[in-house]
Amino acid sequence: MKVDLLQMVESGGCSAKISPGQLEEILKNLPLPEDPNILVGIDTHDDAGVYKVNDDLALVLTTDFFPPVCSDPYEFGQIAAANSISDIYAMGGTPVIALNIMMFPASKLPMEAYAAILKGGYEMASEAGVRIIGGHTIDDTPPKYGLAVVGYIHPDKIITNAGARPGETLILTKPVGTGIILAGQRLKMADEKDVKEALKLMKILNKTGADVMKEFNIKGATDITGFGLAGHALKMARASNVSITLKMRQIPLIGNAYRIIDEGCIPGAAFRNLDFAGQETYFSGDLDYNLKMIAFDAQTSGGLLMSVPQGKVDAVLNELHQRGLSDSTVIGSVTAKCDKFLYIEN
Amino acid sequence: MRIVDTKGQECPAPIIATKKALRDAKTGETFKVLTDNQTSLDNLSRFLYDNKTEFSVEQSDNSWTITITKKDSDKQLKIAEEYCKTEIPHFTKGDFIIVFSTDKMGEGEEELGRLLMVNFIKAIKDIEHLPLKMVFYNNGVKLGSFDSPVAEQLRELEKMGVGLLFCATCVKFYHLEEMIKIGDLSNMFEIAQMMASSNNIVKP
Repeated sequence: MKVDLLQMVESGGCSAKISPGQLEEILKNLPLPEDPNILVGIDTHDDAGVYKVNDDLALVLTTDFFPPVCSDPYEFGQIAAANSISDIYAMGGTPVIALNIMMFPASKLPMEAYAAILKGGYEMASEAGVRIIGGHTIDDTPPKYGLAVVGYIHPDKIITNAGARPGETLILTKPVGTGIILAGQRLKMADEKDVKEALKLMKILNKTGADVMKEFNIKGATDITGFGLAGHALKMARASNVSITLKMRQIPLIGNAYRIIDEGCIPGAAFRNLDFAGQETYFSGDLDYNLKMIAFDAQTSGGLLMSVPQGKVDAVLNELHQRGLSDSTVIGSVTAKCDKFLYIEN
Repeated sequence: MRIVDTKGQECPAPIIATKKALRDAKTGETFKVLTDNQTSLDNLSRFLYDNKTEFSVEQSDNSWTITITKKDSDKQLKIAEEYCKTEIPHFTKGDFIIVFSTDKMGEGEEELGRLLMVNFIKAIKDIEHLPLKMVFYNNGVKLGSFDSPVAEQLRELEKMGVGLLFCATCVKFYHLEEMIKIGDLSNMFEIAQMMASSNNIVKP
């Protein structure tokens, strides 16, 4: 029996996140843990937590799991794993071990699908040099999969979303539009080529991008996932206390993402993200509506958004291109804090 | 009247149907969109509002009727809101100003002094922070002349947001009014005020 995981879900991947506004409201009421060894906690809404073990070693921890983004269980496993590990890379860490987190409807899907998801996850983890040393499964519909990942980093070399400085340039390493393409696929508006491209991009580990960041001593970065490019850029601007300008026309898009959104296929998650970020965002008066919504499209296993000092931009871009991240592009800039945290222009 | 029934459909299908109807409608035409999903209603409302489309919503039992009138697209208002700043400062500035009282750097051979000054100005854009302002007086104003060896560098610093102030009296005295095409002319009160209020003054 050919399994189609997409038959089981209404919203897949990072689109399935809880509204960021709601989440923030809830987290606000929880006491922040106080411990001098917590180098990066939830207060700055960064990609992963960092805990100092000693002066030379800190642990980087993250977890992420979501419902299927594609029909094929093996591919879903790969994408979910790449997405989970990405947060470690975004902090400049080296991922080493992980645990599987799985929810699987044992009565509705054949166990072969379960095995295929795990195999996909295992192989992506291996590519990242991560060993999966355990996990936990619950019987539940629809299936959900991801990893809890542990990495390590030198405490002085952490890359955070609070590390962007005025005068720096923003480089994005992957095209945008996975949410739109996946929604378009469900409504038969995206062609097979677009879907293939989106799946391929989601399976690219952010390892290469992270290596380049480390070599060029980049201090500020984040990975682009469920809150969309604009949502993550806003979190970065807030954490760094700077303003960020995104130039939407410079952002590479997956296949026909623009046409699909222009036909009205705006994923619900984009509205949720807009709700969260809209208050603190300035939209230029002539901003194209489609580009505005693309900025808020929830990405699954998106690229790295890095803040690169003047003078290193060309070299960093060149290196990213050379190592196969050929879509890497300058998409905006960081300035001193202005009226709003985020400025979105055509 | 045309009716677009999206009941039973989830987002983004209702938006797709509405957008298509908007495209097909003639200017001035009114049509209705039906939905029974709160999220779809919310997203549709935001979509229409953002696109400055005229609409109204009526609720009946568990569904909503959105009445939309297509306007002439040319008449849609383009709102030119005030931008935070038109010239975005892309470079961080430190808490210091640089004062140029002469076109040479240090004591010694004149030729060496000129060379050092050129190198100093070339190095400014690479130091950790840019100066808040650069002030030029007496022989210093000559650095700003368009035929000066650092004219290009100064123009670049100005573009990066560094204010260049030239002592007007000095510019006049050396007859450089036509030669200095960058920065602003300044008077002694402004220069004195700036030097007095700056935390750090760098003088090459």
